[in-house]
Amino acid sequence: MKALVFLEHHGDELLKGSLGVLSKAAAIGDGEVAGVVIGSGVRGLADQAGKFGAAKLYVADDAQLEAPLPQPRIDVLAQLVREKGIDTVLFGNSVLAADVAAGLAARLDAGLNWDLADIVLQDGKLVGKRPALQDSVYVDVGWKSEPRLALFRSGSFDPAESGGSAEVEEVTVALEDFSTSARMVDQAHEESEGPSIEDAPVIVAGGRGLGGPENFTLVEELAKALGGAVGATRAVVDAGWYPYSTQVGQTGKTVSPKLYIACGISGAIQHKVGMQGSGVIVAINKDANAPIFEFSDLGVVGDVHEVVPKLTGLVKARRAG
Amino acid sequence: MTRPADFPPPFRATDYVAAQTDPADERIEVGILIVGAGPAGLACAIRLGQLLEDAPEIGERLGEVPVAVLEKGKQAGSHLLSGAVVNPRALRRLFKGRKRIDEMPFYGPVEHESVYFLTKQTALRIPAPPTMRNEGNYVASLSRLGRWLAEQADEAGAMLLPETAAEKLLVSDGRARGVRTGDKGRGRDGQPLGNFEPGSDLVAKVTVLAEGTQGHLTGVALDRFGLAGPNPQVWALAVKEVWKVARPLDRVIHTMGWPLRPSAKYREFGGSFIYPMGEDMLTLGMVVGLDYRDVELSVHDVLQELKTHPLVRKLLEGGERVEWGAKTIPEGGFLSLPKQLHAPGLLICGDGAGLVNVPALKGIHYAIESGSLAAEAAFASLQRGQTPATPGALSGYDEALKQSFVWKDLYEVRNMRPAFGRGFVLGGALAGAMTATKGRFPRRDLELERDVDVELVQTDRAKSYPASDGKLTFDKLSSVFASGNKTRDDQPNHIVIRRDVPQDVARLWERMCPAQVYEATETGVDVTPSNCVQCGAITAKGGRLTPPEGGSGPEYKLT
Repeated sequence: MKALVFLEHHGDELLKGSLGVLSKAAAIGDGEVAGVVIGSGVRGLADQAGKFGAAKLYVADDAQLEAPLPQPRIDVLAQLVREKGIDTVLFGNSVLAADVAAGLAARLDAGLNWDLADIVLQDGKLVGKRPALQDSVYVDVGWKSEPRLALFRSGSFDPAESGGSAEVEEVTVALEDFSTSARMVDQAHEESEGPSIEDAPVIVAGGRGLGGPENFTLVEELAKALGGAVGATRAVVDAGWYPYSTQVGQTGKTVSPKLYIACGISGAIQHKVGMQGSGVIVAINKDANAPIFEFSDLGVVGDVHEVVPKLTGLVKARRAG
Repeated sequence: MTRPADFPPPFRATDYVAAQTDPADERIEVGILIVGAGPAGLACAIRLGQLLEDAPEIGERLGEVPVAVLEKGKQAGSHLLSGAVVNPRALRRLFKGRKRIDEMPFYGPVEHESVYFLTKQTALRIPAPPTMRNEGNYVASLSRLGRWLAEQADEAGAMLLPETAAEKLLVSDGRARGVRTGDKGRGRDGQPLGNFEPGSDLVAKVTVLAEGTQGHLTGVALDRFGLAGPNPQVWALAVKEVWKVARPLDRVIHTMGWPLRPSAKYREFGGSFIYPMGEDMLTLGMVVGLDYRDVELSVHDVLQELKTHPLVRKLLEGGERVEWGAKTIPEGGFLSLPKQLHAPGLLICGDGAGLVNVPALKGIHYAIESGSLAAEAAFASLQRGQTPATPGALSGYDEALKQSFVWKDLYEVRNMRPAFGRGFVLGGALAGAMTATKGRFPRRDLELERDVDVELVQTDRAKSYPASDGKLTFDKLSSVFASGNKTRDDQPNHIVIRRDVPQDVARLWERMCPAQVYEATETGVDVTPSNCVQCGAITAKGGRLTPPEGGSGPEYKLT
């Protein structure tokens, strides 16, 4: 086996998942294992990788490889496979690695075994272990041709330091024309505004009694005035009024803020189990028979469209004063 | 007036028949694949284990996994629900020389029984009809019995694969080749989510469909292999509750009459059952034929109404509801049986085949017996060195079933269910004559009409349903909660119906569904699939239930 492991990095650190695959490949102990680091300003990363069992490290360092796009990486890998006689390419799963693995399989017309949990050498042949049927069985999978491509489930292997060092070889990069036609416009990290629903000390939640998605602004304004987060019932999430990430209840999130204000929520048990641990529960509902009043500390029988704006106004006035 | 049949669901059985698609080296091959870990499927697995124990060479021919059982619920028993008073005959045969009845998880033998005819305030004790006598039978929770049977099947060497839905029937060259399991981790619009996992082809020498009532692939197979019989299947909907009670119940009780209306024009055929479950529990339920007409009929709420009757209220006093569930029962009996219960490579057992004796309120022992016979037929064909997918290789199953007590029992009572379509009084009289003649009367068999073809009427029936008090009576959402249902909300809708139906059909579904899945709107009907407890009523009354993602649905423990 002449194996190559795709080493992915975020910032100045190689991903644990890729290093785990590298350690595993080295542990098989059959033939030569190399790693490849692809990016811009990544020469320093080679030293990190050397400790995890690679005999050789290829480094493709080029400004054109700065953005984490798959096609240029496929070019580098395809070139290495052709020039260095590599017969096995291994990946640890990630969004980028999955794209690269699939693209490389197409480029080289090679077989890719996906979602493997392990790989072993049996009678001199590589055999992949793929979980199936909700992981209750493992299917043995092999390859009919070379190069053999495999993508491992994340967390399959822990990186094991062997203390060695690798010979570093720089690769000259020659990109295909079509590989440079995609460019990265923006890279964003998910940041949410205000406290998340699990951590918020105050949650104002809306139900079907609001009457329509536009009326969620009432709930949002009250939440903002109180410095809290917005929650929703399954019915309104189902109806598409509000995102699933705000759903409170049996099949949503379980929350226990200091104050929970339920606006237009009837209080079915499926909702109750998600918020009954709240400190003070305030319910506003026009139906006096709604179950929510049975487990709320304060209840207002009234129209949410009138009560909530007034409450928001009072809270704002109090905070300002 | 409207018939639900005028608004058929956009469902085509052929969409659920497929050839193998996984490449040959990725297919999962098993010897005998059983779909459904209920009494039929597990009896089949256990019997196969017994037979293979003495014939290891046949086990070897079946490969690494000789017997596998697929189950869509979280575990065996999660989707099992029945009365249940069990006739132990088939269990005795299955476990002969291995297990005694007192080692099985029963709540004890039936010691006393009463049948009542109810009016709103009174209860008139009447003699038990001969078909309904339960001497020598045992009270059970089918969910619990199923879990026990699963342990036995596991010990007998079967591989159980829970949380796995059988979505498509694999057929090639006119032979059943196994099933394709359902995908997991799809979003509401079918898009793969982060945890997406595609289904797999499970390829087998024999596929045994033991899916229970409204079996998804059973329906597909009857269509694909042209096995449907001359009469359609008809169903009843059963809703039941399990209660912890202050005082033990000392007998099994059945009631007829109120809250159902006896008049032929409403076609409300059914009744209730109340069974003891040891010293501190009881179960009670309501069963109503789905050929009923009134769009306002709700079996869930009729059961709530029943609990306000003095006779029932007294039994529940000081008690607490601990579980709730619902399921349909195939009621057509002998007349509705498929022409044939095998096809090349395929066997059909239990409730899915319609092996239920409605006048006796029994089907579990037929399920177990048919599962055992299916095992024997599959084994016999392997023993003869045949490929079970060869046409005719499995015909021994139909022959054995026809020789069995199952067939004889069902034949004798075959005309009773259709007779009750004519109302309670006339139906009862006809049933008496049928019993007396052991089924020789009437000379000419009656016919059954599809539940979906019945014309709807509307009365003000819903006015009498009691409001939920959270102690004795409950609303539907509380009931769904008590079923243990935690179905993921953002999975694709598994209920195939037309949305643009007229108001009376929309209201029919809204009332009928015990789990509040449907809601009539101005333009038709809205669906909340994650409430679904997979009872199957919608398939009887104008829609089609398909299996959701494996592991969804109720998690019954005591039903």
